Amino acid sequence: MVKLNVIELEKSEYTGGKSSLCPGCGHDQISNNIIQAAWENGIQPEKIAKMSGIGCSSKTPAYFLGKSHGFNTVHGRMPSVTTGANMVNKDLSFLAVSGDGDTASIGIGQFVHAIRRNLDMVYIVENNGVYGLTKGQYSATVEKGSKKKKGSVNQQAPIDLCAMAINLGCSFVARSFSGSKKQLTALMRAAMSHRGMAFIDVISPCVTFANNDESYRSYNYVKANDEVLHILDYIPHFSPLEEVEVPEGEFREVNLFDGSTLRLETVAADHDYTDAVSALSAIHKSEKAGSHVTGLLYYDDNVPTATDTLGLSETPLVNLSEDLLRPSEGSLEKVNAVFRS
Amino acid sequence: MGKIVNDFVINVATANGTGSQSSNLIILHSMFEMGIPVSGKNLFPSNISGLPTWFIIRVSDEGYQAPGDYTNVQVLMNKDTWMKDLEGLEPGTIVVYNEDVKLPVDRDDCVLLGMPMTKMARKINPKLGRLIANMYYVGAVAHLLGIDEDAIGKAVKAQFKGKEKAIELNMQAISEGRSFSEENWGFECQYCLEGREKNPDSFLIEGNEAIALGSIYGGVSMLSWYPITPSSSLAESIIGWLPELRSDGDGGSTCAVIQAEDELAAAGMVLGAGWAGGRGMTCTSGPGISLMSEFIGLFYFSEVPGVIWDVNRVGPSTGLPTRTQQGDLSMLYEASHGDTQHIVLIPGTVDECFEFGWRAFDYAERFQTMVFGFNDLDLGMNRWVTSGFQYPDEPMDRGKVIRSQEEMDSITNYGRYRDVDGDGIAYRTLPGSGLDPILYRGTGHDEDGVYSEDPQVYHDAMARLKRKIDGAREHLPEPMIREEENKELGVIFYGSMENTIVEIDDMLEESGLSVSTCRVRALPLHPEVEDFVRRHERTIVLEINRDGQLFGIIRKEFPADLIPKIHSVAYSDGMPPRARVYSDMILEVLKEER
Repeated sequence: MVKLNVIELEKSEYTGGKSSLCPGCGHDQISNNIIQAAWENGIQPEKIAKMSGIGCSSKTPAYFLGKSHGFNTVHGRMPSVTTGANMVNKDLSFLAVSGDGDTASIGIGQFVHAIRRNLDMVYIVENNGVYGLTKGQYSATVEKGSKKKKGSVNQQAPIDLCAMAINLGCSFVARSFSGSKKQLTALMRAAMSHRGMAFIDVISPCVTFANNDESYRSYNYVKANDEVLHILDYIPHFSPLEEVEVPEGEFREVNLFDGSTLRLETVAADHDYTDAVSALSAIHKSEKAGSHVTGLLYYDDNVPTATDTLGLSETPLVNLSEDLLRPSEGSLEKVNAVFRS
Repeated sequence: MGKIVNDFVINVATANGTGSQSSNLIILHSMFEMGIPVSGKNLFPSNISGLPTWFIIRVSDEGYQAPGDYTNVQVLMNKDTWMKDLEGLEPGTIVVYNEDVKLPVDRDDCVLLGMPMTKMARKINPKLGRLIANMYYVGAVAHLLGIDEDAIGKAVKAQFKGKEKAIELNMQAISEGRSFSEENWGFECQYCLEGREKNPDSFLIEGNEAIALGSIYGGVSMLSWYPITPSSSLAESIIGWLPELRSDGDGGSTCAVIQAEDELAAAGMVLGAGWAGGRGMTCTSGPGISLMSEFIGLFYFSEVPGVIWDVNRVGPSTGLPTRTQQGDLSMLYEASHGDTQHIVLIPGTVDECFEFGWRAFDYAERFQTMVFGFNDLDLGMNRWVTSGFQYPDEPMDRGKVIRSQEEMDSITNYGRYRDVDGDGIAYRTLPGSGLDPILYRGTGHDEDGVYSEDPQVYHDAMARLKRKIDGAREHLPEPMIREEENKELGVIFYGSMENTIVEIDDMLEESGLSVSTCRVRALPLHPEVEDFVRRHERTIVLEINRDGQLFGIIRKEFPADLIPKIHSVAYSDGMPPRARVYSDMILEVLKEER
């Protein structure tokens, strides 16, 4: 028997088109988690609006929730389009996917202001530290000291999007890993239920242009195996990373595609996610220890959303009839009279 | 000496931020109250306080509204421009000056009328002396020209709405200024005002406020904006009127307003609102359009409705932020990279500002595209006459939106970008409806909205977009044509040049020419514009920019046989157009051609 969710839909009602990302890309795992979370939460697919910018991550809305409208907008500007749509239809559930280039560089201004307005949306960054679609340039979230396959070492400190979001007063801030299915699905379900800006930074290492200094190993491997290849055109096939679930307060090493490791830790059970200082402290401590802290870092369910603060009509503005959108003829006579007096 | 009635120019030179704007508007409105055809131009600096400002008032029974060729009455208040203002005057000019500035007034060939305005003002209010000093020249001008006491009283009341103390204080200053002039100058001015019958329905209003009201009556449901001169007052007018005009009856607003983080975001919000089925708009000036260009391409290619008003200022770059120009026309028409073409509505009067304010949304939704409103600082921020705005005479046109499964089923082979009606406009569905959900994108897409790099698919999509916008030509506001029987010369112009064209026309006809005029009110051009050119021996395209931007569009689009008889006259120095400059240039072009 096919399993149905609370609104009696099969999971297939939440799936999308075939992915055109590199085989094994962590982003596809994230898409699967989105499908899982939306299905488990029993959200009506047509009530979701999928939003994205430009980049590998931003292509993914084509690969999930095929029954939802979506907009693959322009680079770094997804938040503003979401804002406009949210203003006129606050009943839509906005689910946005962005990348670290899209959010931490070109789109950092819009990211900041969407948080500042507490826009009612789920904002997922699929964070791999590189510009994948333009073939492997550093992004602003890459660790200092990372070495590109062609030599240069990143000398600049990374932007920690979670720390930034907490400082800006974001009402839901979490970090996870593309291979942590259980944790990520749980965080997504919580984010989808949250009213206001729910930000999830998902570490999703790039299978093709992994950003650590060992990354050229995979290329060496490719080179050694086929000398006639044009490296730039060749995308090696990898299997997705193994799933990893890190118990609360503990850490695990994850082996990446290029042979490097990534250390993940989960916030302790007693982490006070209502306290921004504790959250920031957890982020900074783990950064110092060379690891990434994951889990729900900060949460405040008492922040008015962008539409709350504007005193808008209860009815979503797109559903208002013409007589509410266009004032009466008599009112224009009054306006004219004001100027005449 | 013979009297010169209702035909002169007053120039008031003050410093920005000294309160002189109130004084100038009181002069303007009190004359208007007397039924006298009058117009005012505020030439202000890009500064909050201290830099020079001039206010030019043109009084003309002929209805001329451009700054005249000469100043007849000069008011001198600003020490920084004092000497230069004086030097530039024609002999015989009447000079009203503030004695307390204590600068020489070495023009024996002019009529020099001094008044210790600051001292007198300090006597009635020591703290506000500097502000109130400006009201003394109002009194002086009122005495010299004969402005009615009642009209002044009404204008002061309107200016200081309900602030009794301010009204009393300023009235006292004006009255003292009037008495001082009477008692001390003993001069009878040759320029005088004669009241005319005032149309009781008429009033003065800025173009920006007219657009704001038009937008509100057009059902704007999301305004996003980023402050920029000279468009901020448009957004601020909308914000000001919303509580009264757009409340849902339960205290909720039917229009969301967001002050965006920049112009890029403002444009993105309009796109989001239009995509979701709302009526989104923003307003900006040239620099903002430059920033919005990326989104404008997305509007065009993904076919989302939205409205952007551009209140032109002087470019390029930051340019002259507080001066006027028609410098953005060609940019708007083809904004963003790749082949694009946009609808541009070009009002020439405040009535049209209101009308195009609401119509812009109908065009945007009907043609599923970005619609620009083209305004400029002169029309937008100066005050012009209307006899009251007309209520929209058509219901809203929400365009081809499928709102039910039945409607969907009635279309065979539905696709978001499939042209089933043959007019280039496809049907769309809205997010939340569950009807044919697609992922909108700025990348190449086929008729179903699915990503495609297929050469034929791309080519056909672009051809359809061209057909769609071309199809708008005859539905857009038709040109306003005033035609002479003798088809000797046609002048094509647009926008705020409307306020100067009558005077230019009269100057040209003085030289024996027979002049027809055609005011373009939208891009792409209405077919009637081409017919107008065809009917006339020669045509001039007249505009307030350097390069002749409309001329460029015409040259590109009109048949080759018409081009040799079309000539460009374009001039811009940041000032509102002066009739003499343009009529001389037209005559020069015609002479060269012969």
